[in-house]
Amino acid sequence: MSRPMNRRQDNHKISRELFVLTYGALVAQLCKDYEKDEDVNKYLDRMGYDIGIRLIEDFLARSAMRKCRSYSETVDVIAQVAFKMYLGITPSVSCSNTTENEFFLMLDNNPLVDFVEELPPGRSSLCYCNLLCGVIRGALEMVHLAAEVTFVQDRLKGDDVTEIGITFPKRLEVKKHKRNK
Amino acid sequence: MHLMSSELFTLTYGALVTQLCKDYENDEDVNKQLDKMGYNIGVRLIEDFLARSNVGRCHDFRETADVIAKVAFKMYLGITPSITNWSPAGDEFSLILENNPLVDFVELPDNHSSLIYSNLLCGVLRGALEMVQMAVDVKFVQDTLKGDGVTEIRMKFVKRIEDNLPAGEE
Repeated sequence: MSRPMNRRQDNHKISRELFVLTYGALVAQLCKDYEKDEDVNKYLDRMGYDIGIRLIEDFLARSAMRKCRSYSETVDVIAQVAFKMYLGITPSVSCSNTTENEFFLMLDNNPLVDFVEELPPGRSSLCYCNLLCGVIRGALEMVHLAAEVTFVQDRLKGDDVTEIGITFPKRLEVKKHKRNK
Repeated sequence: MHLMSSELFTLTYGALVTQLCKDYENDEDVNKQLDKMGYNIGVRLIEDFLARSNVGRCHDFRETADVIAKVAFKMYLGITPSITNWSPAGDEFSLILENNPLVDFVELPDNHSSLIYSNLLCGVLRGALEMVQMAVDVKFVQDTLKGDGVTEIRMKFVKRIEDNLPAGEE
């Protein structure tokens, strides 16, 4: 049902709550449709992906970002520009020390769960916000970055924080060889 | 501040409608389900609205219409519909949406010509008003997605709800 995104004349800011409650209705509908949490998670991710591949156009048009030169810069842009623009929050970014391709976004204040106290009974494996993972993954794919994006911690599941992990493929090391003459 | 740009909402709403179209064979059922979901959203959203907008009690339906158009729509959808076509009795009016953010990237496919794409909004309004003791009928009478020039929502005051029992979820 969608047509290509044309930039709207006005950029309207809205309060989040109607979106948050609509998101809840979406998750509830998927829970009616699919018995297993894994399936709901999968469909949320897939829907998010379809959203992400469109949202990126809007994002690039409105943020006027230049090409990022590193994974680290990319994740910073996701956290400080994209999340801010579309959800009104700025997750903090951390990087796995051992590799430079694995990052974490910590959502201190996750608006999607504003009206959710706990997961519904029998839904302990539900990744309630999984749409976000798909959105990030889809958007990155459209800028030629393949990434795995998953929730690595989730307050709704009893963890202390909610954290999204973004893992890029390892860059091949470029070894500098002296040319043999 | 709880502000965001609307595009993620627009696309998420689209995903919801698409999912309902998969789940229900005919448009009328999708419309009904959107309205029901909207109702359940509206009965919660009203609390947030009253807390954050600080509007006092409306004295009549005209004031209610103003608040809906200029405060609520502005807050949650970033637009200010105009209010027109008051009935002589003052119990019915239209909201004209020149620009509906929910349909920003949407074309109705041919096989969904009866789909009321934004029907969630009717449910939201109905649910929210019920929580402030007003029973109303809300429906789309024009829709740009169907080729009309504007999108028009018609709201009719039905009756005051006297008892204060909380509305159950439908």
